[in-house]
Amino acid sequence: MSAAAVRIVLLYPSLLGAHGDQGNALVLTRRLQLRGIEAELVRIAPGDPVPTDGSVYLLGGGEDAAQTTAVHELKADGGLFTALDNGAVLFAVCAGYQICGRSFTNGTHDRGVDGLGLLDITTRRGPERAVGESLSHWRMPDGSVSLVTGFENHSGWSELGTDATPLASMEIGWGNGDGQTDGAVQGRVIGIYPHGPILARNPDLADHLLSVALGQHLESIELPDVEALRSRRIDAVRADRS
Amino acid sequence: MSSESRFLRHSRQRSSFRLGTALLAGRTAALASRLTGRGSGASIGGRVTTTLDPKAFAELIASRRIAAVTGTNGKTTTTHLLTAAIRNGLGDDGSQVITNADGANLHHGIVSTLGRSLHAPVAILETDERVVADTVRLGHPEILVLLNFSREQSDHNHEMAFLGRDWRAALAAAGPDGPMVIASSADPLIVWVCQRARAVVWVDTNPRWTADSTLCPNCGGVLIRETARWHCPDCPLSQPEADWWVDGDEAVSRKGDRHRLGLQLPGHFNLTNATCALAAAVEIGISPDAALAGMRTVISPAGRYATATVSGTTVQLLLANNPASWTECLPLAVSDPLVLAIDAAAGDGRDLSWLWDVDFGELTGRTVICSGPRALDLAVRLDYSGIDHVVIEDLAEALDSPLLDGHWDADHPIDVLSSSTPFQQLRQLGGLA
Ligand SMILES: [Zn+2]
Repeated sequence: MSAAAVRIVLLYPSLLGAHGDQGNALVLTRRLQLRGIEAELVRIAPGDPVPTDGSVYLLGGGEDAAQTTAVHELKADGGLFTALDNGAVLFAVCAGYQICGRSFTNGTHDRGVDGLGLLDITTRRGPERAVGESLSHWRMPDGSVSLVTGFENHSGWSELGTDATPLASMEIGWGNGDGQTDGAVQGRVIGIYPHGPILARNPDLADHLLSVALGQHLESIELPDVEALRSRRIDAVRADRS
Repeated sequence: MSSESRFLRHSRQRSSFRLGTALLAGRTAALASRLTGRGSGASIGGRVTTTLDPKAFAELIASRRIAAVTGTNGKTTTTHLLTAAIRNGLGDDGSQVITNADGANLHHGIVSTLGRSLHAPVAILETDERVVADTVRLGHPEILVLLNFSREQSDHNHEMAFLGRDWRAALAAAGPDGPMVIASSADPLIVWVCQRARAVVWVDTNPRWTADSTLCPNCGGVLIRETARWHCPDCPLSQPEADWWVDGDEAVSRKGDRHRLGLQLPGHFNLTNATCALAAAVEIGISPDAALAGMRTVISPAGRYATATVSGTTVQLLLANNPASWTECLPLAVSDPLVLAIDAAAGDGRDLSWLWDVDFGELTGRTVICSGPRALDLAVRLDYSGIDHVVIEDLAEALDSPLLDGHWDADHPIDVLSSSTPFQQLRQLGGLA
């Protein structure tokens, strides 16, 4: 792989990636390759140095104990923070989203654990577990709305501070916990709850991450199965909750 | 007195009047369910019995000798193997061994199985993970086989640690009366559970899938895996030395015995399932030769690996319900084209994100027919791995596809790998259930 290849960096898939979230890295890499852009998927295990020259970094969902370990390892390594200072994009899902915040609670313990401090959110254990298909509305940079379909499975409720902006407004599901919004954006750090993996179901969001990271507009690509799956899941979740 | 006769020793208790009445009502309900075509009736029968006599499970399971088999994957097949081994080893007494061969492995299914043969002295029970602790507490099994412990579905992931603690507590409470445990040394959570067991026979099951055991169940440290063994860097938990393992087609014991398995079942994981069953049979006192002769008669446990004709096409039915079993079963699907059938009903797991944790790379160059109600989820997964596929959601239609013409014969069936719900539909379409 030449030095010019765009690097998609999957962080600690063995710790945070037990819900198919590694699929997000595959989707980003393939969507670049389908456009003829050279791209490379880099998997980083705990203890490996985190490269600082990646374009998009990904964190996925996982267990409580894995969250604490991931925060410890990422802070000790420091490479992710350097990469973000260099202009990289970080996209984090579920447990990965929570650890980007100021603090989060673990399991049945109510004491907050310090997060990475990349998003102005605080996560506490909610009164019920949020499990099921979700649907939200994301306003894209051009002002149009893209529906975001996914499957959420978490017990954390995240409260946004003033530095973070909600990513999407909920139509169906819990999202950040109140059923009003899902996810958060702060600079080039984006987090959201659903798995799916979410970028496989939501190509607009995938291409948004890539175009921010690359600083260029990307032409659309046609994947009929993806469009068919999207409309099927959107119809199903609306029928189920109506 | 030989250990075989010890295992068969009767502890014939008269069932209570209340249990007898409850069982009669349960059997009537089960019969009604079968007659109206709503399934085998095992579960509904057990439910009716339990409603009338809430202590039915405790009473039925306490009054005989039990070998219980559990694990996320392979428990149905291993239960069939162990039952065949014990029946063959007991010769004429083999008919006194009962089992839930239909895979009804929750409380109600077990009540139904045990209630059908009140006086059978030995039961080999496939046991759902959620029933293991009750089985240990109330049934005092002599043998407990713990095959593996991975997540069944993503939406159940958070339950794994809870269930592990539950099993460990039950084994601790059983103390010196606890079972002889036949357990996988390759599975960290099972090894941690077994720290509280009275006695353990370790089998190295050497699985392809290890992604669910990254963290130490004892201290949360990041486990280190090297040369197929694991250990925790932060506490003493490590892979125990195996008493049994698989070498080629042979089960090998630490004492140096080697036994050719010669199964009729495909797959490396069935060699390790059979080695677990062999180790259990030997602990019960069955000779290895007798156990193996019995296990070699097992062909298609509850429809797995069965050959059937669906829509005029000869197919081999394969079942896999989670990323671990898909990873183990994909190498068995060798036909081209092959059919992968997916649903996300209650029995399959409602979240299909695990499809992205399975490496489908070995299908590159072949044609995949994606079928079942959630075929599109699979199609997108294969899209992103560049694997050729078509989508035909209806199962009967998929197996009627002209794509299959000329690509199979009686000896080379089309392989159909399915999640639970499409698998049961295919058994019905093929006249097997
Ligand atoms: Zn440890």
